[in-house]
Amino acid sequence: MKKNKVKIWVGCGIFCVLSVLISSWYAVTYNDSRLVAPMDLENYVFHVEDLPMIVSVSFICIYLSALFIRLFIHKGKKQRQVEETGITCRIDPRLGFLGMFGFAGFAGFWTYSVDGTIFPFAFFLFFGFFGFFYEGKMAGTFMDERFRENADRARLKAYGITFSILLIALVILCQGKPFGSLEYTLIAVIIILSLALALGIFLSEYLLYCYDHDDQADEGEE
Amino acid sequence: MAEFECRLKNYRQLKNLTQEQLAEKVGVRRETIMRLEKAQYNPSLKLAIDISRAVEVPIEEIFIFD
Repeated sequence: MKKNKVKIWVGCGIFCVLSVLISSWYAVTYNDSRLVAPMDLENYVFHVEDLPMIVSVSFICIYLSALFIRLFIHKGKKQRQVEETGITCRIDPRLGFLGMFGFAGFAGFWTYSVDGTIFPFAFFLFFGFFGFFYEGKMAGTFMDERFRENADRARLKAYGITFSILLIALVILCQGKPFGSLEYTLIAVIIILSLALALGIFLSEYLLYCYDHDDQADEGEE
Repeated sequence: MAEFECRLKNYRQLKNLTQEQLAEKVGVRRETIMRLEKAQYNPSLKLAIDISRAVEVPIEEIFIFD
């Protein structure tokens, strides 16, 4: 994406967030917190004062939908480009730091104790993003037959490990005995599913890097 | 992986080609040529044919399987 276009997208995003913040402030100050505080939407009657909130929320929904479509198209273009040139796409290894979001999964223990919410455990899935460190290191590599063979080998091994963990964990957990409570079992299933999938995502990149770089230290240039 | 002996390095040097030049000729990375020369990588039939054409030596003289 060109820099100008990125600036436009970021600008639109900032505008949408600001419009929601301002309309929320307006609703709280002048409109009895309508559409901000929880309310019964079944008996909702339209007021003109609700308009800023409705418009700003519509803006942000349109923006997020457009952003999602744009990213989807961009990803497709990149994929085609990779197939045409035979060179892996450029990825900044620093994206691997997104894996830090995986630690948000531990928030699940807190939310569960406060109000029984368990979905934050799924954040453990983000640990898989640590794989960007290795995908970034392999960026711009020419994909010859050895590279493709290694990629298939890495993917197979990663999937093999992931599915073995899942199978063993599900066989044990689905008996419902380890924790004596169905709720704890569900939490364990979510944690194990998230961690196993994250491991699969990470390993396929890490193993490819290892297979491609093993004993490269003694590679001599001629 | 099948064990084999690879004499590519000799034939490549006879043709005065570097690993990089040969890699470019046959459409692979230099690392792949290096692995081939150490007999650590079993090439596809297409790559073996491309290499034999590049160094102008029959395949069976470059890759020797027991």
